[in-house]
Amino acid sequence: MGKRRFTEVWRVWAVMAAIVLATVVVTLRLVQLQIVDHAQYAADARLIHYGQDTLADRRGALLDRNGYPLAASEAAFNVMVESRAWEDPAEAQAAADSLAEITDVSSAEMLEIVRDAEAFEIPVARGLNYGQGLAVRELGLPGVRLLEGSRRTYPEGNLAAQLLGFVGQENSGLTGLEIDLDSILGGSPGQVTYERDGIGNQLAFGNRSETPAQPGANVVLSIDRYIQRLAEQELDRAISDSEAKGGTIIVIQPETGQVLAMASRPTFDVTKPDLSDNSKQALFRNRAITDTYEPGSVFKLVTTAAALDLGLVTPETWWYDEGVVHVSDWSIYNWDLSANGSQTVQQLLSKSLNTGAAWLASLSGATNFYDYVERFGFGVTSDSGLSGEVDGRVRTPENDPTGWRPVDMATNSFGQGIAVTPLQMVMAVAAIANDGVLMKPQLVNEIVGPLGTQAVEPETVRQVMSPESARTLLDMMGVVVDGISTAYADVPGYAFGGKTGTANIATENGGYKPDAYISSFVGVAPLDNPEIAVLVKIDEPEGVPWGTVVAGPAFSRLAEQALAYLKVPPTEAALVSSLQD
Amino acid sequence: MAGNRQGSAVIPEVLQGNNIPVILILAALMVGIAALLPLVQTSLATSTGGNVSRLEQLREDWQTRLHEQEVNVARLGSLDRIESAAKVRLKMVAPDSVTYLRVDAPAPAPLKLPSRYLPTEKGPVESESLWEEFFGWIPLP
Repeated sequence: MGKRRFTEVWRVWAVMAAIVLATVVVTLRLVQLQIVDHAQYAADARLIHYGQDTLADRRGALLDRNGYPLAASEAAFNVMVESRAWEDPAEAQAAADSLAEITDVSSAEMLEIVRDAEAFEIPVARGLNYGQGLAVRELGLPGVRLLEGSRRTYPEGNLAAQLLGFVGQENSGLTGLEIDLDSILGGSPGQVTYERDGIGNQLAFGNRSETPAQPGANVVLSIDRYIQRLAEQELDRAISDSEAKGGTIIVIQPETGQVLAMASRPTFDVTKPDLSDNSKQALFRNRAITDTYEPGSVFKLVTTAAALDLGLVTPETWWYDEGVVHVSDWSIYNWDLSANGSQTVQQLLSKSLNTGAAWLASLSGATNFYDYVERFGFGVTSDSGLSGEVDGRVRTPENDPTGWRPVDMATNSFGQGIAVTPLQMVMAVAAIANDGVLMKPQLVNEIVGPLGTQAVEPETVRQVMSPESARTLLDMMGVVVDGISTAYADVPGYAFGGKTGTANIATENGGYKPDAYISSFVGVAPLDNPEIAVLVKIDEPEGVPWGTVVAGPAFSRLAEQALAYLKVPPTEAALVSSLQD
Repeated sequence: MAGNRQGSAVIPEVLQGNNIPVILILAALMVGIAALLPLVQTSLATSTGGNVSRLEQLREDWQTRLHEQEVNVARLGSLDRIESAAKVRLKMVAPDSVTYLRVDAPAPAPLKLPSRYLPTEKGPVESESLWEEFFGWIPLP
């Protein structure tokens, strides 16, 4: 009897214990679900019940100075698929097949993307145009929706590719002006949070909160698409004619410092930039500001400017050229090894005598000479606002007291042993053409945003030399081109000035590359009231390397067409009253 | 009797006799109709909300088409295309020489920035609910 009762009691206790244990387990599980892991489950629930999209308004356009779009945005759609909606293989295959007919993505690729997806929703096709987007929407596939964005397009093709740069998949700038002006062009993104149904579609009257995106501002550049195209065509032609490795052409408006054209070669396809090949990434950089070179005889303009402005010489000042100048233990010769005897300063510039340049520099003295070099903007960035712009390299007694030697000034006087960017060089020439006033290079003219238009005013850097000295030097540049055959330098109808340069190319180990040159020509036109300053720089031409032969013709053709386009009146002598004249 | 007479005087005539069932039915109908009013209102609001969404979608579609057309216009106006059309379609060639004529007329005005790329001015959003409209009708001081 006692044993039986014990058994019954034990069973009751066992059942009770089981119930209590189960209750404890359930309670603990509930505690885990509702308290311990609350945040995670709440987040998961929100993920399922609420959708969140980043809204992006249209990226602003990059326009040329007359309002023609160089880079603009058009609507593009991404096809978003909820991974849960494609769980059934047959339905997923059917949906992917339908989408593949509209998009450029195969159904197999789409299925693979969704299969590997860890996110609730994933894009299976990007960058659809309006027609494709409409077709996808009309399919009405469950769990498939369109996310509107924008795609960058370049109406003028590859024009100014390195200057403009390009954007990435998320529509953020990656290179060029696209990245430098990203905060202006990109606007500010918005965000929308909405309640959605079981298959991910937005509930018509569910909770919804939206912070609207702000559109990016349009940026009006100083670039003129016509002159930019001219520059690129002439650059291509000059490179092709001389079988050169590359080159740069920059066109500046001297009075304002506005950059009308900036072209470099080799270049890349801005509509399909190849980011997979690291070796091609060098093509993305804007060589007009990132690469330095030794300018050669073009730099004699700076040397002459210093001596003229200091009142040490006039164009008619005489000097005797023995064909060689000895500085310390070094001997400096003319480029053609000539000895010209008595020469005026004008003649030494026209004949581009190295010995004469070294003499002018020694007349000025190191302090004054390097002062003018710095005043012309060499050795520091031109503050163009373009990322990647380098300072160049000017070694002076002040910044390198132990390394600098007197022979450095002698070689610097004719543009060797000094590193400048093409932009620095043309801005210095533009300063001569602008009554001696150095301007800051200007690439942006206006920012046209939702709140109005912000105009960018030209900015003066400094008065480098007196207007009188600048005028004198400008006239000397006119005499220089008078001595060049019209076959190489001629702008019919206009008076112009210029200076040629043929420079050795420095190597990393301190020497010069054998039989390799940079041929250049800087010019201003028209001479009485310069509207353009142009630098043509051709890298490593084959055959005759002289700047006159290689770069001169490109300047001539470019200047002639650009001046006519800019409606600059030709000289009186070139005008006729009627076609019978 | 006097009390009964007084009572019948208090109860309105319409509630006396056989009118009561009719009144109850009418009252029930009114209550039913009143109950339907929120439903009708909700239905109208739903329908209006749907229309708003549809119109917004339509507006966005037109905006998208407009932007696409702007880009198409820009492509058609590109220098490459113009040169190609001039050379291929119009058989134009570059001049051998240029003659500059002296004319008395002033040069044409420079091109202005086309307004098509200026951002759309966004005016203040006017939103007035039915209730706000209703209260607007009441001549409040």
